[in-house]
Amino acid sequence: MARVKTVCVDAGSEFCPCYLAELNECITCSHLQGKGFCDCGNIGICIYQEYIWCGSKKKATRGVFPAKILEKHPLSKKAVLLKLKVSKKLARQLNEPGAFVFLREKHMPHYFDAPMSIMNSSEEGGVILIAIQIRGIKTKTLKNVGNEVLLKGPYWNGILGKAFLKQVAGENCLVVAKGISQAPAVLVVNKLIKNNNNVEIILDKGNLGKIFVDGYLDRERCSIVSLDLMSSSGREYLEQKLSDRNLRLVFSAGPDKLHLEILEKLAVLNPEVLLAVTNNTPMVCGEGVCGSCSVVLENGLQIRACKTQVDVRKAMERRVLRD
Amino acid sequence: MIRVVIIGGGWAGCAAAVAAKKAGAKVILIERTDMLLGLGNVGGIMRNNGRYTAAEECIALGAKELFAITDKASRHVNIDFPGHKHASLYDVTKVEPMVRILLKEMGIEMHFISRAIDVEMDGRTIKGIYLQNEELLEGDIFIETTGSTGPMGNCLKYGNGCSMCILRCPSFGPRISISQKTGVADILGQRGDGSYGAFSGSCKLNKDSLSEEIRDALNSKGVVVLPVPKEDINSDKLSLKVCQQYALKEYAENIVLLDTGHAKLMTPFYPLEKLRKIKGLEFARYEDPYAGGIGNSIRYLSTSPRDNGMKVKGVENLLCAGEKSGLFVGHTEAITTGSLAGHNAVRLALGLHLLELPRNLAVGDLIAFANERIQQKDGLKERFTFAGSTYFKRMNEKGLYILDKDKIAKKVRRIDLYGIFNEKII
Repeated sequence: MARVKTVCVDAGSEFCPCYLAELNECITCSHLQGKGFCDCGNIGICIYQEYIWCGSKKKATRGVFPAKILEKHPLSKKAVLLKLKVSKKLARQLNEPGAFVFLREKHMPHYFDAPMSIMNSSEEGGVILIAIQIRGIKTKTLKNVGNEVLLKGPYWNGILGKAFLKQVAGENCLVVAKGISQAPAVLVVNKLIKNNNNVEIILDKGNLGKIFVDGYLDRERCSIVSLDLMSSSGREYLEQKLSDRNLRLVFSAGPDKLHLEILEKLAVLNPEVLLAVTNNTPMVCGEGVCGSCSVVLENGLQIRACKTQVDVRKAMERRVLRD
Repeated sequence: MIRVVIIGGGWAGCAAAVAAKKAGAKVILIERTDMLLGLGNVGGIMRNNGRYTAAEECIALGAKELFAITDKASRHVNIDFPGHKHASLYDVTKVEPMVRILLKEMGIEMHFISRAIDVEMDGRTIKGIYLQNEELLEGDIFIETTGSTGPMGNCLKYGNGCSMCILRCPSFGPRISISQKTGVADILGQRGDGSYGAFSGSCKLNKDSLSEEIRDALNSKGVVVLPVPKEDINSDKLSLKVCQQYALKEYAENIVLLDTGHAKLMTPFYPLEKLRKIKGLEFARYEDPYAGGIGNSIRYLSTSPRDNGMKVKGVENLLCAGEKSGLFVGHTEAITTGSLAGHNAVRLALGLHLLELPRNLAVGDLIAFANERIQQKDGLKERFTFAGSTYFKRMNEKGLYILDKDKIAKKVRRIDLYGIFNEKII
């Protein structure tokens, strides 16, 4: 029997219980899956208790807010960096590895919501930074956005393996970030530094053609290397770093192909190393409802990747089999 | 060497560990919380009514260690309270470290804050159990003594919600039914009205919060009976509780307090404001569960089908004991079933016949009787204990209720089982 631990990233938050609880489809609570008995993954709180206390109803869902665009910097022909004004509360909630929001041009209908990772967040000023690569239908509408954009959030499942990022302290960590995925690496690096880890960051400009996060990293407390991960010297360098016996954690920010390459190398070189990765699953609603982020794991369990924290290795293995 | 893995460190798990170790196994005991004994940390009643006989039978069979501890830790010996005679009350604040030292000295490997969450099967054989940290703990034989109580969602669905009891589920994580994870469906106990589960039968008051007079009486006599104001008498509550041996009229009309280190209040829950109307309890507060004014833990939601050698039906290498093995109530019942399961774990590993205790001993008869009754619909509403209700009545009728220690020892010798739990069989 393959054992897969799944935990809802929203469990215990102000948005829990949600629609899924009302519909007996809760990701975590067995009672709220229509089963008669407790069999949750011990998250320290009881969703069922909270649900009953709420009068057997879900709590309020996330709102859509207009966010003022304070600054707009082109990163390349097809990428732009936005500085947005939000409430201090939202900025605080988004100041966490894996945080993301949905952005939409204010005249477009809700199905133009595009999930965007938070690059940096300042609670004091209520300011967030988001890097957008223009690559498809939704992002094209954001390219020439005016001075305001619609924002829905906060969401937190932009990274799989979040628990590892929280638990690692005083260890050696490697962060590998490529292209537009340099953005979500910033909050991760800051978190790892805060926990007194030694952090080395490998940045690859990728098809974006630019390194754009170095100014947001504390250079005194981490080391940064820029290289091309597709070149033979780049691969060699990465392999050498991954085989370091003192390495405790790797964070991979980039396409699934990069995750898989790192995962396979670690399996041979350093299988005990903890792995966290950016969650690249397509998302539309972010609430576990629409199904666009559905991933079927090897044991047949279907998860909603927009809300579910699942073992990176399990999620990746299956996705590759499917593709 | 045969590896016996015991899941759950309550009285049943500890008894199983002791017996399996004495039979010659390497024993690994895993416990979800940071303490052994589980509900034994708030219980304390031993040797009342037929439990005296059962304790002496276990001692004669060789399972003497844990009874030696509960006897030694007793604050009161040979006391009577309504419906119950010659009880001992062990001090719940002293007993856990004593058991822990014993198990450590015996060389039993104990892992605390280690919660079993799933199983790895090979056909119908358990290969290992997964712990919370995803580690796979392998073994030859497994004994499930995870009880049948909680966690929070169950206490809410079948009771009045989490009342913050000694099991501390929010802190240490929920109990998981291992047998259910192997694909063997749990059997559920019922209340009189057919609803599932039952409330734990007592709550504990902080002794320092009681009047000096009550405190002194508890310390010297071990028991205090206080009348309930007429308007607050609620006989319906008796049917809610687990402990049918205390579901007597006297317990509805009176507050019965026992001194177990705490003041044990023999009712599942009692609204604090009503409690404080009683003379001497004006300043009372709860010790366990902390919210004893509103509810208590819910039990009997997770019993395994088993044979009389304590092996779980449908799994090749899983045994069970304690509440997991039947609708049992009490520490004595847990130690009895645990000792047999521990001993039989080694027999099972060696391919020997499992020991079944004969029915002319109360311990053997209880195990077999509970197994017969659980297969009948009305039997799901019964609880089985040497201390009262259906089974104590049966003990009396069958002449199994004996208070003469020598007579019990002689009887066990006569059937050639004296000291069997002491035998190393590997």
